[in-house]
Amino acid sequence: MADRFCMVVSEGSFDKAMMPLIMGNTAASMGMEVHVFYTFFGLKLLKKGIRPKLPGMWRFFTGMMVKKMMKLNVPNYEEMLKQAKELGVNFYACSTSMSLLGVKQSDLIEGTKVLGASKFLDLAADSKVTLFIG
Amino acid sequence: MEKDVTLDARGLMCPMPIVQLAKKVKELKSGQVLELLADDVGARDDVPAWCNRTGHAMVGQEEEGKLFRFYIRIK
Repeated sequence: MADRFCMVVSEGSFDKAMMPLIMGNTAASMGMEVHVFYTFFGLKLLKKGIRPKLPGMWRFFTGMMVKKMMKLNVPNYEEMLKQAKELGVNFYACSTSMSLLGVKQSDLIEGTKVLGASKFLDLAADSKVTLFIG
Repeated sequence: MEKDVTLDARGLMCPMPIVQLAKKVKELKSGQVLELLADDVGARDDVPAWCNRTGHAMVGQEEEGKLFRFYIRIK
């Protein structure tokens, strides 16, 4: 069985959006099986067409950051998501957070699976690496 | 060093060289040697780690100023 890598993402800001994708896409490229569980404010990162912003007052500088990333050839959030799907990264939405934030399955990007905490913990229990991003 | 294919990942930042490397390797046959060019400093240790994890053999690694050259034999 491939080494497994699990992450929990609980915040929806730009940095919390990019980090799990950078780590996840790298891990998948290294042949690892990757599972990312989005909960609380992290959930909005799975909504279709989302453009994450920097946290707090920094949000006004998001455009500058995005431009700088383009200059450095760093893929943007949308491209990273596409890449993650091609690499077989698994995305999960926390079922409770969906009810809490009024998010429907149809709001979420294609391929997202709705999961409860037990199933995710079942995956994480047999995982070589687990990270909490929040 | 002899090589069958070159992947030019210059100008790409972490993790793109690794992601492209993984993609490229899927197209290659066992025993072929891939030359990877990268100029992201992270690549210096990322590429050997990737080889270690995936089982492909690092048969050569060179540094010329800011440029890194890696030679990887496909398993």
